[in-house]
Amino acid sequence: MNSIVVLLLGFAVAIVGYRFYAKYIDAKIVKCDSKKTTPAVMYMDGVDFMPTNKNVLFGYQFKSIAGAGPIVGPIIAIQWGWLPAVLWILIGTFFIGWVQDYSSAMIAMRHEGASFGGLSYKLISPRSRLVLVSFIYFYLLLMVGAFGNIVVSTAVGLKASPSAWLVMTIAGVLAGQMIYRWKKDILLTTVVTVVIALCGIWFGTMAPSDRLLGTDLSNSRLLWALAAFVFCYFASVLPIWRFALPINYVSSYVMFIGLLFGIVGIFILHPDFTLPAYTGFMIPIGPLWPIMFVTIACGAVSGWHSIVSSSGTARQLESEMDVRPVCGGVMFAEMVLALFALIIAGTIYASPAEYGAAVSKGPGAVFAAGVAKFLGAVGLSPALGKSYGSMMMIIVAITLMQLVVRFMRVATAELLGDISPLFRNIHVGTVLASLMGIVLVLTGWWQYLWVLFGGANQLMASVALLLVSVWLTSEGKKAGWVIYPMIFMFITTITALLYTSYDLLHKVYTGAAKGTEAMIGNTIMGCAGFFLVITAVILAMDGVKALRKYRVLKLQSTESHA
Amino acid sequence: MPRLKNKDTMNSISLAKTFAQNPDRRYIMFGGKGGLGKTTFSAAAAYHLAKKGFRVLVFSVDPQASLSDIFEKDIFGKGPTEIMPNLFAQEIDADQRVKAYQQEIRQKILDMYGMDKIPDEIESYLQAAAAEPAMEESAIFDEVVEIVIKKDYDYYIYDLVPLGHALYYLSMASVYDAWISKITQLREQMREYDQVAAVVRREKELSEDAILNELLYIKERINTSSSILTDKKKTAFYFVITPEEMVIKDTIKAAELFTKFDVPLSGYIINRVLPPELRQQNIPEYLKNRIAMQDHYMKVIRDTFGSQILTSVPEMERDVTGLPMIEKVARAMFGNSA
Amino acid sequence: MTEKIKEQDLEKKKSGILQAVKEFVYGAAAHDSARYALKTRASMEHLFILITMGDMLGVPILPPYYSLRLLPYVVPQISTWKRRMLREKDLMDALA
Repeated sequence: MNSIVVLLLGFAVAIVGYRFYAKYIDAKIVKCDSKKTTPAVMYMDGVDFMPTNKNVLFGYQFKSIAGAGPIVGPIIAIQWGWLPAVLWILIGTFFIGWVQDYSSAMIAMRHEGASFGGLSYKLISPRSRLVLVSFIYFYLLLMVGAFGNIVVSTAVGLKASPSAWLVMTIAGVLAGQMIYRWKKDILLTTVVTVVIALCGIWFGTMAPSDRLLGTDLSNSRLLWALAAFVFCYFASVLPIWRFALPINYVSSYVMFIGLLFGIVGIFILHPDFTLPAYTGFMIPIGPLWPIMFVTIACGAVSGWHSIVSSSGTARQLESEMDVRPVCGGVMFAEMVLALFALIIAGTIYASPAEYGAAVSKGPGAVFAAGVAKFLGAVGLSPALGKSYGSMMMIIVAITLMQLVVRFMRVATAELLGDISPLFRNIHVGTVLASLMGIVLVLTGWWQYLWVLFGGANQLMASVALLLVSVWLTSEGKKAGWVIYPMIFMFITTITALLYTSYDLLHKVYTGAAKGTEAMIGNTIMGCAGFFLVITAVILAMDGVKALRKYRVLKLQSTESHA
Repeated sequence: MPRLKNKDTMNSISLAKTFAQNPDRRYIMFGGKGGLGKTTFSAAAAYHLAKKGFRVLVFSVDPQASLSDIFEKDIFGKGPTEIMPNLFAQEIDADQRVKAYQQEIRQKILDMYGMDKIPDEIESYLQAAAAEPAMEESAIFDEVVEIVIKKDYDYYIYDLVPLGHALYYLSMASVYDAWISKITQLREQMREYDQVAAVVRREKELSEDAILNELLYIKERINTSSSILTDKKKTAFYFVITPEEMVIKDTIKAAELFTKFDVPLSGYIINRVLPPELRQQNIPEYLKNRIAMQDHYMKVIRDTFGSQILTSVPEMERDVTGLPMIEKVARAMFGNSA
Repeated sequence: MTEKIKEQDLEKKKSGILQAVKEFVYGAAAHDSARYALKTRASMEHLFILITMGDMLGVPILPPYYSLRLLPYVVPQISTWKRRMLREKDLMDALA
């Protein structure tokens, strides 16, 4: 089966979904109104609320949600065969993915730009806000662990990584200086720093040796974990314009260029799938349902998107007419991105065994190999391509990782700040988050961590859908298009989390987990998983109560009208 | 003891001399405890200078309108009013000033935004702010600034109300200055970020920050007036004292504060001196005692303040009101020299 | 005649698409930075207004005379400022 067929199918689904299904919901059920003033326009305080052009927001939304998710998920999920993955990506996005992204923005917009915390307080129950915030803390922790693991596993074993990453960081810091202090023309800044970053990637391939001071630089997991967290420490503690923002800026362009040429390469080579379409229901990681469903989170359904849509994008949208193109549109675009990742995993290896060997080292290795092959189609040398691909993987993972560490720092201050002023200290908060993250990174096996993260992510999505369901019901609008996906997501993710957590803890209990590392890691992951399930169940219970309440209210009002 | 007449002549040359020797000292202030004759001296000094051909403005912020009393003309809240050729007097009506200022602000808002009416919450804020006690004192402060930096007159004579008013004024000036500096800094930082956003978006030149300009304008005003009033070459401050124990004590305390704040204290003027030749006449016992006490305190004054005494002025036979009496005081202060 | 109109239409469409692409690239790469700078600036502006007109919210301030002088310039922002100062904030706002 030629991969381009899958791609074309993806485009078709995107067009149909966007132009017909999404349009129908937007116009007939939610009834988007061009005359309604959005919070961005109404409040416009320039701090949180600022009306922004929809094309700009499209780029902003895309950048904010397209992390390692749509890439890593499909690369792992292909273990069940490429067909189930394709089906989940397409159907998941069509019925659930865009629904979540779109409605999260809509609900926030129609409630004066309130955040999920405020919305759950108002719509579900007062205690749900606290439950949600603690849920989010653990969710973030798992994200740090999962993404950290990706960074480490990608960097390990590749000679080019240290120098490429270092040069990229330097280019970023330089960009920050040029923009914020020297106020140079942005075009100049962009060209100079991006060229430096690209040189770094190239330079990395010429690295003579990775032994520094006797340590094997590229093979030490500990070292790389530390490097990743030191990076995140700086990103969290330094003024955001000095480090985090400009590095993101430069890396965006590196990504663009890589994606652009990679996609061109795929079309040029139009390879066939070499891995099987379907391998079986039960595989080592777990059963197809529910595990594959949570493995591909971004790219099908991802709770992270709901946070971005509600707290970020919703406060910048100029008009209700922009919600479908921005939030819905970006989800469909990400769907296509996930297909590309799937194609990479599914076409570059000669046999499942080869794939298996590669993926056990980490998703970065697979992605890098894929990028190398497709960039090769446009003329890059394999070594350079591999370096470029690795850098791309590191970028998408670390961009979100450092953001999350920053959040966790803020979350620590918020949740624990009343107990002791120590927790408000930016260094303490960052180090705390980093320590927990490092433990997860070093002790957790990355595939399990990814599954747990995926589960948490989609549980977040279920909660978002729950909020929307309650809102729609309270307004008497048809909610089936949200409620059924929500039920499906809740059941899937809770089952997945329970299954995985039980599996992990069982391994510790029976001694199948070998070594203290594995034991600690499994315990932490298992407990985190259970905790998430408990919080989700509480939220679900309160949510169902709220749904019933609104349904009854609506019935009463229709009766009294009769 | 030398006769008053001679002392008179000797000392009054001293005050007139200071004036003549320091032609750049265009800002004169008379201070001292209430009721000792500051207003009288302010009026008399103004008279003297006006007669010499200088354009003089004598002004006061006293709500009790003593200048109006002394010139026998109602000048309260009427701006600089001509009393005689070259002599102008002004009594600042703080209340009126605040109201006029409010109206200025209202009009500016209406003009800037093309409104017909001030929004309710802005209006209530305008009124609340105007009702604050601090508003009146800062309005007075600004009025003084306004007068000081305009260059309409050759001489400015400021009749201060309480003893330490000059100190209060100067300390207020430094507090306001510090405040303005802080928020100007904040404003300048904001501009930095504006520039960054403009760079990232490739936008053209930023428009001026109007608020920053206002702040700089205000700062400039405050600094100009402060620098004038602390400049020994530009400003003269005279303490009015009488030969009484409490007055002397309080004046000493005040003088110490003044040196601490570097206020240019130029000298002392003794008022209400009973003419010693009264002794020769047949006077009641209590008057004799009074003169004896006066002698004592005059000695104390001379010992304490020494050469800083510039003149002593006798007790007049009636209230000093109206130009003829003012002229008499002026002659007592400055001597008969033209 | 129609050929020219068609050409013009095409030009418009091209520049429209080009513009959209530029905006997309800006949105993905630079919007964050610009937004951060503007957010910080607006935050400081609110602080500025608090210092000068905090009276409206019950925060005592210094020389009311000179603050009043600045009032005309901040009139349009007063209501949004008030709303933001008094708005309930939670953790999720940091994620925005």
